[in-house]
Amino acid sequence: MKRWLAAYAVAFYAFLHLPLATLAVFSFNSSRFTVWEGFSLDWYRAIFRDPQIVEGTWNSIVIALWATAISTVIGTLCAYGLWKRGSRLLTGSLYLSLVTPEIVTGISLLALYQWAFRWLHWQLGLYTVVLAHVAFSIAYVVIVVSARLRTVSPALEEAAMDLGANEWQAFWYVTLPALLPGIVAAALLAVTVSFDDYVITSMVAGVDSETLPMVIYAMARRGASPVINAISALITVVFGVLILISERVREI
Amino acid sequence: MNLRSWFLFPARLWMAAFFAAPFAIVLAYSFLARGPLGGVEQPWALENYRRLFDPLYLEILLRSFLVAGAATAVCLVLAFPAALFIARASRHKNLYLQLVMLPFWTSFLVRTYAWIFLLRETGLINTALQAVGIIHTPLPLLYNTGAVLLGLVYGYLPFMVLPIYATLERLDPSLVEAAADLGARPVSTVFRVILPLTKPGIVAGSILVFIPCLGAYLTPDLLGGGRTVLVGNLVQNQFTSARDWPFGSAVSIGLMAVVTVCLWVFLRRESEPLA
Amino acid sequence: MNRRVFLLGAGGLAACARDPRPRLNVYNWSTYVAPETIPGFEAEFGVRVRYATYESNEEMLAKVLGGNSGWDVVFPTHSRIEAMRQYGLLAPLRRDWLPGLANLDPRFRSPAWDPALEWTVPYMWNGTGIAYNRTFQPAPQRWADLWDPRLKGRLTMLDDPEDMLGACLKKLGLSFSATDPAELRNAEREAVAQKPLLRAYLNAEVRDQLVSGDVLAAQLWSTTAQQAIAAAPNVAFTYPAEGFPFYCDCAAILRESRRTRLAHQFLDYLLRPQVSAQIVEATKTATANGAAQDLLPESVRRNPTLYPPPEVFARGEWPHTLPPAAQRLRDRIWTEIKSA
Repeated sequence: MKRWLAAYAVAFYAFLHLPLATLAVFSFNSSRFTVWEGFSLDWYRAIFRDPQIVEGTWNSIVIALWATAISTVIGTLCAYGLWKRGSRLLTGSLYLSLVTPEIVTGISLLALYQWAFRWLHWQLGLYTVVLAHVAFSIAYVVIVVSARLRTVSPALEEAAMDLGANEWQAFWYVTLPALLPGIVAAALLAVTVSFDDYVITSMVAGVDSETLPMVIYAMARRGASPVINAISALITVVFGVLILISERVREI
Repeated sequence: MNLRSWFLFPARLWMAAFFAAPFAIVLAYSFLARGPLGGVEQPWALENYRRLFDPLYLEILLRSFLVAGAATAVCLVLAFPAALFIARASRHKNLYLQLVMLPFWTSFLVRTYAWIFLLRETGLINTALQAVGIIHTPLPLLYNTGAVLLGLVYGYLPFMVLPIYATLERLDPSLVEAAADLGARPVSTVFRVILPLTKPGIVAGSILVFIPCLGAYLTPDLLGGGRTVLVGNLVQNQFTSARDWPFGSAVSIGLMAVVTVCLWVFLRRESEPLA
Repeated sequence: MNRRVFLLGAGGLAACARDPRPRLNVYNWSTYVAPETIPGFEAEFGVRVRYATYESNEEMLAKVLGGNSGWDVVFPTHSRIEAMRQYGLLAPLRRDWLPGLANLDPRFRSPAWDPALEWTVPYMWNGTGIAYNRTFQPAPQRWADLWDPRLKGRLTMLDDPEDMLGACLKKLGLSFSATDPAELRNAEREAVAQKPLLRAYLNAEVRDQLVSGDVLAAQLWSTTAQQAIAAAPNVAFTYPAEGFPFYCDCAAILRESRRTRLAHQFLDYLLRPQVSAQIVEATKTATANGAAQDLLPESVRRNPTLYPPPEVFARGEWPHTLPPAAQRLRDRIWTEIKSA
């Protein structure tokens, strides 16, 4: 059984990474178009020459980190609270936030901001994007953490409280450690959803807050450009290295 | 206020400000009329909802449900063994998890374009198959429902893997051992012991895949060649080239209503695994 | 050079918050300026330009409709200008601040959508036609040729309701901006009849497939077609005999802008022949600037795809905004065609 699983896992990861591998190979293609013409690093050089890409990446990272941090905290607390006793209103609104098509979320948030700005005299910027990202990430976090919570027995907390812990201590020392893998999984999901978002971000981004997906989208819609392949390959390598490093650190 | 209320407060606040308020705006839009440039203007009317009940749009809604359902089913079948593998791995669990997520940190659009490149008639897959001699004329792998399904499954796979992993990881290995001791073969154990215990994860994953699939528009557009209209395309179209925000809002509200009803019915029967 | 630019860019980011220079926010279509255009303006006028891009008019309009988007200069397509003016979104132009208007091509000095050039300055223009592979003979010359059964599976049309329905309307000899329901329904019938032949509805993405030979004929914009031709000599482009649309993207200043003087200077800068010629060289688009055209090499100036000769130009139509009822019908027809 274990061998079948391992074989399946290999096939699974190959499937997941196949498009990326293709992109990486063609990022070294000297031709603009998808016929192989020769090896070239031109597109990688073009990335660093383009201030839009550099800035877009920076913005995306900042937004993703902030949005993930906030939404993971809020989402975990919310999942825990709902686990204690459900709230149909809150659960319903979380689900609805998932089912809303992105363009609708984007337009409605834009309308909300524009209406609020009539009084506040602020403008769209990085912060409006972060607020929007948190809004749609919370649902993902809640769902993942709740699934994990379903496997935690309430008896553990009750036992802790019988032994003298208060509610907070029961949560912090008993349930939370059991939740950690779920929280990590949820945070990973939130980072991904935030880093990759295009539709909502493009609607609520301000003059100064272009993100990497927006830059890529603009390039791609005009016909695929190998610069995009190079960017994707770079992102993969950078994140891949980060992952490997964190794994090594953990082993130490 | 007790601890639970404090814990729920930030989420409630966020949802009220950034979901309920915009939702109210969309609801208001759905009762208005379109402006010439997009945007909305008076008069207030039920016109948009009346339009919604046209067979053309109902058929689109039905088609979307079928496609999303198929994508969810395929996702489940593909993701479960992978999640099982990761949960059972003795080391490097996080590494495997992150390797699942890694492709999804590149742009969704880019990955879709990569699939287009792979599936085209002169794309990599067809060229490879022809070179090896398995086929002689290119297969029409792109611009059909199959390609759309592939794109949807690929795009939402981690959303299925992560929740299932989260529940599997917590699974008590002694239960599996007990089943083995009682004579169950491994496959049988999976179906009769592990699967039922991971139900919360499966439900969570299915919801996380099915619902966004309903609203998907880029994948059907790019991989389906714009040949079919799903609900996501319809809404997207209303807010862009059609410049009919009110109708787009009405379709969204209709979609949300249908999903809410489905979820309510489904979750009541399943005795509310989430809240 | 690259490293310096990178460091400068990073340093620029850091210094961004404390930059004392005046700012101008420009929102344009993507790939519509040359790499030197914006830095040149920044250097000469001692300002900082915030430049971002969009992919569709609706995307831009959604932001600026609220009246507090933060942008100063935008580039709407000509058919949106009348409505934008009615909505009060545009700032009136001061001609005495725009001496460069004299550089405009005579055809664009008094365009139908803005005869006195009070609100906009024509910038770049393009048309929609048929891009095809020369191996397909006889070469398509009319929209009707795209209904040829021999093209089955190797044909694409634009994923744009205005263009796609427009082609069907022209095939029937009707106006591109027809509003009559019967006419529109006839056009719909044509579109549905053509659908089985189609590979897909694609926009600029079809360029690659034209170059590789996957697609034999495609309805395409002239700028994208020119890019395909430059990459593959056996790709050609034609403006159909029955008629076709032209689109002109124009520079406009938003009423909400508080830097109108600087915005005017930017518009005038774009009107300079050298600047415009430089942009054309980088982006391979067709400019509305006559003086710039004179600076271009003969091969570009006479390129029939980008600058069609007068007799072809006369067959083109400039679409305008349609009344809401017609727009709604068209939209429904588009949904029906796509669902068929």
